[in-house]
Amino acid sequence: MDTGTVLRNLLTLAWLLPLAGFVAEIYALQLRWSHRLSKAPAQLAVACIGAGFLCSLSALLYWGNETKWVGFAPVEHHTPAEGLDGGDTAPADALRPDATGGEPASEHHHQTPKFYAGTFYKLAQFGPLEITLDWYIDSLTLVMFTMVTFIATCIHLFAMGYMKDELTEEYEDHQVHLPGGHHFTRPGRFHRFFAFLSLFCFSMLGLVLAGNIFQVFIFWELVGVCSYLLIGFYVERHSASTAANKAFIMNRVGDFGFLIGLMILITSLGTFRFFDVTTADGAEQTGLFSLVRGDDGKLDISDDPSVTKSVVYLRDSHGHRLVDGTTPRTISYLLLIAAGLGVFAGSIGKSAQFPLQTWLPDAMEGPTPVSALVHSATMVAAGVYLAGRFYPMFPPEVLLGIAYIGCITLFVAATIAVVATDIKKVLAYSTISQLGYMMLGIGVGGWAAGLFHLVTHAFFKSLMFLASGSVIAGCHHEQDMRKMGGLRHKMPITAYTMLIGVIAIAGLAIPGVGNALFGQALAFSGYHSKDAIVASALAFSELNRNPLHNILFIVPLVTAGITAFYMFRLWFMTFAGQPQDEHVYEHAHENPAIMTAPLVILSLLAAGCAIGGEDGWLYCLLSFSETVPTVDRFTSERVASIVIPSHLDARDVHGTAGGLALLAAFAGTTVAYLLYCRKVVNPDDIRRQAGGVYDFLVDKWRFDTLYDVAFVRPCHIVASWCQGFDQKVLDVVLHASAAITIVVSKWERTFDEGMVDGLVNLIGNSTTNFGRSLRVVQTGRLRQYVMWIAVGVVVLFAALFTALPK
Amino acid sequence: MSSEYLLTLIVFLPALWALPLLAFDGKAADAIRYFGLLGTALTFGLTLQLLMQYDLTPAPEQLHNGMQFYFSVPWIENWNVNYSLGVDGISLPLVLLTGLVSLLAMIASWSIEKHLKGYVILFLILETGMLGVFLSLDFFLFYVFWEVMLLPMYFLIGVWGGPRREYAAIKFFLYTLAGGVLMLIAMLMLYFSSGNSFDLLHLAEVGQGLGKGFAFSKEFQITAFLLLFIGFAIKLPSFPFHTWLPDAHVEAPTPISMILAGVLLKMGGYGIIRIAFPICPLGAQYCAYGMVALGVFSIIYGAFAALAQTDFKRLVAYSSVSHMGYVLLGLAVWKVGEKAGDPNLHYWRMGVNAAMFQMIAHGISSTGMFFVVGILYDRVHHRDLNKFGGIAGLMPHYTGLAAGIFFAGLGLPGLCGFIGEIFSVLSCWSFDKTLAIIAASGVILTAGYILWTVQRVYFGPAYKGPHGEALVPLLGREQFVAYVLLFFAIGLGVFPNLLFQYMDPSVKTLVDNLDASVHPQIIETATTLVP
Repeated sequence: MDTGTVLRNLLTLAWLLPLAGFVAEIYALQLRWSHRLSKAPAQLAVACIGAGFLCSLSALLYWGNETKWVGFAPVEHHTPAEGLDGGDTAPADALRPDATGGEPASEHHHQTPKFYAGTFYKLAQFGPLEITLDWYIDSLTLVMFTMVTFIATCIHLFAMGYMKDELTEEYEDHQVHLPGGHHFTRPGRFHRFFAFLSLFCFSMLGLVLAGNIFQVFIFWELVGVCSYLLIGFYVERHSASTAANKAFIMNRVGDFGFLIGLMILITSLGTFRFFDVTTADGAEQTGLFSLVRGDDGKLDISDDPSVTKSVVYLRDSHGHRLVDGTTPRTISYLLLIAAGLGVFAGSIGKSAQFPLQTWLPDAMEGPTPVSALVHSATMVAAGVYLAGRFYPMFPPEVLLGIAYIGCITLFVAATIAVVATDIKKVLAYSTISQLGYMMLGIGVGGWAAGLFHLVTHAFFKSLMFLASGSVIAGCHHEQDMRKMGGLRHKMPITAYTMLIGVIAIAGLAIPGVGNALFGQALAFSGYHSKDAIVASALAFSELNRNPLHNILFIVPLVTAGITAFYMFRLWFMTFAGQPQDEHVYEHAHENPAIMTAPLVILSLLAAGCAIGGEDGWLYCLLSFSETVPTVDRFTSERVASIVIPSHLDARDVHGTAGGLALLAAFAGTTVAYLLYCRKVVNPDDIRRQAGGVYDFLVDKWRFDTLYDVAFVRPCHIVASWCQGFDQKVLDVVLHASAAITIVVSKWERTFDEGMVDGLVNLIGNSTTNFGRSLRVVQTGRLRQYVMWIAVGVVVLFAALFTALPK
Repeated sequence: MSSEYLLTLIVFLPALWALPLLAFDGKAADAIRYFGLLGTALTFGLTLQLLMQYDLTPAPEQLHNGMQFYFSVPWIENWNVNYSLGVDGISLPLVLLTGLVSLLAMIASWSIEKHLKGYVILFLILETGMLGVFLSLDFFLFYVFWEVMLLPMYFLIGVWGGPRREYAAIKFFLYTLAGGVLMLIAMLMLYFSSGNSFDLLHLAEVGQGLGKGFAFSKEFQITAFLLLFIGFAIKLPSFPFHTWLPDAHVEAPTPISMILAGVLLKMGGYGIIRIAFPICPLGAQYCAYGMVALGVFSIIYGAFAALAQTDFKRLVAYSSVSHMGYVLLGLAVWKVGEKAGDPNLHYWRMGVNAAMFQMIAHGISSTGMFFVVGILYDRVHHRDLNKFGGIAGLMPHYTGLAAGIFFAGLGLPGLCGFIGEIFSVLSCWSFDKTLAIIAASGVILTAGYILWTVQRVYFGPAYKGPHGEALVPLLGREQFVAYVLLFFAIGLGVFPNLLFQYMDPSVKTLVDNLDASVHPQIIETATTLVP
């Protein structure tokens, strides 16, 4: 078996195992292999996802071994001059086709193929338009698979402890109040929770494995529905089912854009595939990436200066322009931008970016393991993953849009996190903010930086969510930080693993200490990845002369400080200081090993996964999959003047950016320490001083109110209009015509009875009357008859004589 | 089995099966039910036999104008009316769907108590009418079956329906009859200008400019097309001819609602693709934009109207209006290129395939939705959406199945509803960008009304309506029906090519022929002989 087939088999197994698990778990009680009080469904789920992790890890290692570990070490950085000559440089190889499903196609270059790809089966074919389920495996896929399955395994284990309340026939839901004043009770749903988690893992892995954009859309929606099921797990709670609906519908708003992107792609480019395939008759079906980027990773834009007339020539994998008869095949530049923005709209919904961010905080209604897995580490990062995967299709104008969306999001969310008091809400806003960082990184050309942050964030954020879950479980479902405090004495493991996460996300580091060992500052993962993003942003804003773009650097820098502030605020409020609520503190306890062990494991990874920074294995692995060359700058003058910086540009400013970011992080940490630990100033005073701003932030910038007024209510009004139109117009017209028919029939009856029948009757009657009047002469008296004869004869003769001519 | 016998048997077995029922004692309820069930099961078995014998890659000599199993015998020779039946990739899936939905609806009829004998007899006659419509290739025969199906339906709604059954039955009857009259006019127009022919295949040849000595002018085609289209659009139903549907559904008993949504609506779409388009390509081309616009409008309008409903069944009925909009949209995205074989044609082919798929998918999901509503109605005897809640806790197994079926209606990937919807929307961009964007926005509204319904009915702590004690778990036969529907919903959603492989060859032929027929060089050579 060649490498591609092995990788495909391993990852397909990892992908399908959770699906099998789902079926078995959802029918655990019907099929009677388990019962309501048994942990067996959870064990099955852990077994499935754990086996999936082993498959993914072996795939990663197998791939590393087959490729002589080239992807794990830093590559020689080409000078820009080398990068330009295309041909045999590494980025060009990214677009080498892998025609026959797994055959390393660039063997003749004596280089490692960038990816392996192939087709599972065909969904539909309409002439040349073929829609299939494909697989596409590169180092990004492998890293995502390993990361997702690993974190999912940890979270499954944690959930076995966290959800144990459900192992009962009589689960009392304290958040649901029945009219009688007592709480709602129901049978536990332990097995169903794990079934949904398994289904989610299946969908998420399918999304990562997808080899075409249509397939991404399929699994995109499936993770959405899993998220819906998990947010609404406590179906009895109105707030939970409403949050679930909100999440799904907000995502569908983004998917509406995604759908428009798909329409443009299938109509203009005729394919959804990422990669090229050779059909049985030897013809090449060029995939999206080659069509748009050719073999050198560049857009082949026509020289037309007018933006509306600019077109991008479609090319095959050898860089030759494709022709349709004699005319070259092209896609209008504006349409390419529209397609990019459309697909990115999907990312906006899924990754809770501005302006669709409002669903994610509400999604915290789901159980905490769900928040950790779905709403921080994996699913919401899928939007970033898609932006990264689809990167070759984005012209610079779209990238600029992505950067600005990310920039707005990271700031808005961070400001709200500052005032949130629910421990999970703080983490939720922090997630939105960090996703904004990733988007920003991708938008300013730091492709690997953005995805690097995706992976590191997944580790430290799932860690922090689980730690918050541990706090919530330990404090008997208390989520308000104002009632906590001093918990580190009661729950030391939770507190200190959480601290690792907080340091990681804040981006704190000790410069100079680690240099001897790693060539980098001694720091946890978040420092490295955030550094890389901020450096790309600085390079971007320096290269682009437009002063407006400076905010793309300044805002994330300031927000780095805010991030450090609100994360330490969370930690200090929860774990440090004096207990604020005796009742909560009294009953708080550390959780059993099944919940703390995942915390410890994840904290190790949160601390160490990014070791070595941009020369470390993780960053190198990710940047190995880079599909668009970043060795030289990319300039676009079409819609706006945009320069996408190269790696070297980012490297040049790395020191400056890193230093400034570190300064901001320390500033934020210090302020949090002074306010919430030393209590130099009472935060309540500040709150009173800035009442308006505070309320505005507590109201989440009033997006919910705005959307309610601008969209939800108008929708219901239009709905009632439609309903009214049916009843008041269409049916009325119908009833009126029916009524008119009846009226006309009545007239006809009157006419029939009055006129037609009348006439007939008149004739009949007059005949009768005439006959009746004649009856009087029939007297039977002879004398009278004789007289009438005589009169008749006289009259006849008189007539005869008067009428006859003389 | 030879083709004559097989097709004829499929069409007439249900009606023949109804004859012995006349001799049954009306009080032997179970005997009548099982006998009726056996009849529908045998018919479904025969349609499966048809599927087995259907050749995916037929030799040219097996085909008669693209039809397999074609045969024709004179029926009323004076008027040149023939008894001709045949099947192709367009009608085959619909025949199977009819067999399946009838079988499931018969199982769902177990709760019918009133005048059971009459009910089963009418039910079987109805099935003959439906199968006849999908299999006949003679316009007169088609018309006869079309009207045959109407009467049993009228009685089934009018006798076994809810409180306003008479109103609903008459509304349904008059609407369909009005459509039938328009179709009759068009039929006679075509008959007298094609050398007295009712043969659909011959009429199609004439309409496409291939008739020897006959041709229809453009104006003639437009008139005939509009008449046919309105007749079929009533059945589809498309805005503004849809108001019979909510009333008919609300009043009809559950199994009849299943048939109505699952099969009867498909006749509208089938009529358009089998009769209106092939016979009047110029008319179809002329009206294409209007039809797409109407389809898109129906999608949005139906979704909005569904959002406003408080009656569960009315809501599902309006969702049908919305879903059938995709059928119209997909069928009509016909943009004529400068020359025959323009690339745009692939997108129309995609659209027609998607429309066909959507009909089947809607036949599964909508049948399922009505059945699911019926399960609740059987128990608590009301359908007020604001008086449900908490069903998930009381009937968890049922809720799981219902959620699966509702998600199929919502168009969730992996379930059948997704494929039809997405491909018809995708095909629309090359036709008209604005309409495509409006159609795509339907996904938001659909999610909105379905999820809101699911929340109101299934979620929440407690059931709020009357007869809460009657909410007992699913019975065996109810489970069976729901599982069969869910099985098909998932199967077709995951492997849509199982269906597309039957449809696409026929659709391709149709699309190519129609496209060739409207290109000027062919039209100019055709002589206009229309009076």
